[in-house]
Amino acid sequence: MMVRVFSFPPLAICLLLLCTVPSLGTSATSQVQKELKAGLSRFALATGELAPVVGFSEQLSGESAAFLRARVLLATGRTAEGLEELKNVAEGQSHRAKAALLLGRYQVVQGAIPEARQWFERAIGVGFGETRQEARYRLAELELNSGRAEKAGQVLAKMDAGFWAASGYMNLSSEYARSDLNPTRALVALRVAIAMAQNDSDADRKDHLVNRLRIRAGYLALQNDEPDKAIGFLEKVSLEFDNTPQALYLHGLALAEKGNHRSAMQSWHRAKKFPLAFPGVAGAWIAMGRGFDLSGYLGQAGEAYLAANAAFESERVTLRKLANGIRDQGAYKSLVEDSRASDLEWFLADSRTLTQPRMAYLLDFLAKPEAQRAVRRVAELRELAQGLAKQHSELGICALLLTDHLVLLDAREEREASELREHQMALALGLKKLSAKSLNADQTDVLNSISETLAASADSLQKLDGQVSARPSELRKQLDQTRTLTNQTARLSAQSLSLTQQAENNLDQLALNYVRDRDNEMVNSIDKTAQQIAHLYEYLALENLAEATQ
Amino acid sequence: MFGIKPIIRRRILPSIGLLFGFSFSLPLLPSAAFGSDIDRAIDQLRAEVSEHSARVFALEQRLLHPADSRLSVFLTLGSPDSLRLDAVELFVNGKPVVSHFYSEREQGALEEGGVQQLFVGNLPNGNHSLKAVVTARSSNDRFVRRESSYRFQKRPGSSRLQMILDAEAPDFEPRVSFLEWK
Repeated sequence: MMVRVFSFPPLAICLLLLCTVPSLGTSATSQVQKELKAGLSRFALATGELAPVVGFSEQLSGESAAFLRARVLLATGRTAEGLEELKNVAEGQSHRAKAALLLGRYQVVQGAIPEARQWFERAIGVGFGETRQEARYRLAELELNSGRAEKAGQVLAKMDAGFWAASGYMNLSSEYARSDLNPTRALVALRVAIAMAQNDSDADRKDHLVNRLRIRAGYLALQNDEPDKAIGFLEKVSLEFDNTPQALYLHGLALAEKGNHRSAMQSWHRAKKFPLAFPGVAGAWIAMGRGFDLSGYLGQAGEAYLAANAAFESERVTLRKLANGIRDQGAYKSLVEDSRASDLEWFLADSRTLTQPRMAYLLDFLAKPEAQRAVRRVAELRELAQGLAKQHSELGICALLLTDHLVLLDAREEREASELREHQMALALGLKKLSAKSLNADQTDVLNSISETLAASADSLQKLDGQVSARPSELRKQLDQTRTLTNQTARLSAQSLSLTQQAENNLDQLALNYVRDRDNEMVNSIDKTAQQIAHLYEYLALENLAEATQ
Repeated sequence: MFGIKPIIRRRILPSIGLLFGFSFSLPLLPSAAFGSDIDRAIDQLRAEVSEHSARVFALEQRLLHPADSRLSVFLTLGSPDSLRLDAVELFVNGKPVVSHFYSEREQGALEEGGVQQLFVGNLPNGNHSLKAVVTARSSNDRFVRRESSYRFQKRPGSSRLQMILDAEAPDFEPRVSFLEWK
C-alpha cells in the first residue's frame, strides 16, 4: 500500500483563506460521525490517501474497527503496532481469518516458519471462502519448501477448485518434475491444476494461469517423448500472452520430433517475431537453421544460422545499450519510466508489450520477486518525495500569504461589518412588514426560509466581533504552525531522497546483474550457432572431398 | 534436439497474490539483509510522513474550510452488488465541483461499505442546489447515466450530506438519494 503525501490544494484555493475568517472551531476529524469513520477508513485504505483518516483511526468503533485500525497502522508504516493489533483481531471474533492470514504471510517473509504455519492453520480453522483457500495454498507452500510434497498434496486435496488450488497443484507439479525421473506424476498434477483453474471466477487471471499450465504440461510431455500430447497442450496456448514464444518453440520441437519439419519451422518462424528477451525466441532462431538442415536445404540452413548469429549480435548491442542506460540514468528510468513512454498513439500501439525489447526485458526482469520489491521500493519513495516537494512548496506559499495578510490587517473589515449590520436590520424590517401581510402557504414557506437565513447571518455578525479581535493572534499561531510543518517537510524530503538513492542503487545492481545474465545467454546462443555453422561447413567440405575423390 | 531450455522455477510467491488483487496489504516485505534494513527505514519514514501529512491536512481544514460555512458531501452505495460505479460528477448551484472516475479498488471499497468524501467546500447560509450525474453499469449489464438534483438549506455550522446510490432488482434502475446529517 502506497502512502500518498497530503498536499495543499493549489494556490488559487489557498488564496481563499484571505477571504475567510479563520475558524476557532473544531477539526475535521472530530466532526466526522462515528458511523462515518469506518467507511472513510475503508475508502482511504483502497486509495492510499490516508492523511484524513490517520487522526481518527484510534477512535474507530464497531466490529471491524480493530481490523481497520491494524490495516491503517500497517499502511502508514507503524508495522509493530499494526501486527500487535492484528494479533488481537486474529484472537477475536470478527475478521480473525483475514488477520491470521496476514500474520502468516508476514511471518513467512520474516522466515519464522513454525509461527507462519500456526497462523495459516488458524486462518483455515476459522475462515471461509477465498481467505481459507489462500491459507491452505500457503500452508501447502510451506510443506513444499520443507521438502514434504506428500503432506503438501494432502493439504491441496482438501481445497475447493479455483485459482489458489490450481496454483498449489502447479507448484506441486514443479516439485514432482524436479524430484521424479518420470514426469507422469508432474503431468497428472498439472492436469488437476488445469481442471481446478477452470473454476476461477476472474477470467483474466484464469487465462493467464491456464496458459502457463499448458506450456508446462507441453514441456513435460515433450520430455516424456509424447509429442502428440505436447502438441495437444501447446496448441491451446493463447497467441497474445508473454510466454507465447516459448509455447511456439516447444510446439515446433514437438512437430520436429514427429518428423514434420515444415510445420515445425512455421511455429519457429512465428516465435522469431517476438523480441529475443522472451524465453524460447533464441531457441527458435537456431531451430530454423536446424529445420532447413533436416529438410535437406543446406544452403538455407547456413543462411538461417548466419541470420540467427546476426540477430544475437544485434541483441547484445541492445543489451549493452540497456546496461549503459542503467549506468547513466538508473534502472528505474531505463526500464520502468522509458517503457511507459511512447510516442505512438494508443490505437497504433496495440501490441507494444509483446514487440518492444525494453518492455520484454522489463516483463522478464519483473517476474522475479526480488526485482518487484526493489522497483516497488523506488516507486514508493519517489512518490513520497514528489508529494513532500509539492507539500513544501504549497506550505511555503501559504506561510507567505499569511504573513502578508497579517501586515494588511486594518479596520477595513470593521467598516464592512458595520455596513452589513445596517443592511441586516433593513432586511429584517422588510421581512417583518411582509410577514404582516396575508400570505398563502407557498409564500409563507419562502418567508420562513428567508427568515432562517437572516437569523443565521445575524448570528454570524454577532460572533464576528470576537472572531475579528482574535484574528491576529490566531493568524500568528497558524503561521507558526505552517512554518513548523514546512521545516518538517524539508527534513522528511531529505530523508526520503537519501533512502531513494539507496533503493535506486540496489535496483541498478539487480538490473545490471540481470542484463549481464541475459548477455551471457546471448553469448551461449552465438556459440551454438557458430558450432552449427562449423558442423555444416565441415559436412559440406567432406561432401565436396568425397565428390572430388569419386 | 537443441537442448530444451529448462523452465525456470517461478513459484506463485506472496507478491503475486498482491498483484492478483488481494485487497490487503503488508508493508514492504524484506528478504535479504539490505532489504530488511532499507525496508525498516522506509517504514519509519512512512510512519513519520503519514503523521506529518495528517497534521498538514488538519491545518488545511482549519485554514481553507472554516467550520461555519463548510459543506461536505459523502458518497455511499445503498445496494453494493447491483451497481458498478464508473464516474460521478457533482455540481453545486450549477457549477461543476467534482468529477471522479472510479478505479477497481475504489469500486471494491465502496461495495464493501466504504464512504467517499466526494466534496468539501464552503457555502454561505441559505438555499442551494446540488446536481449529481452518475455513470454506472447495473447488474443487468446496462450502462446508465442518470442525473439527480437536490435542494437544501445551508445552516450555520458544518453541514454534511450523504449521497446514496441505489439500484434495486429487477430493473436495476439507479436512484440517487440525499440525506442531511444533523
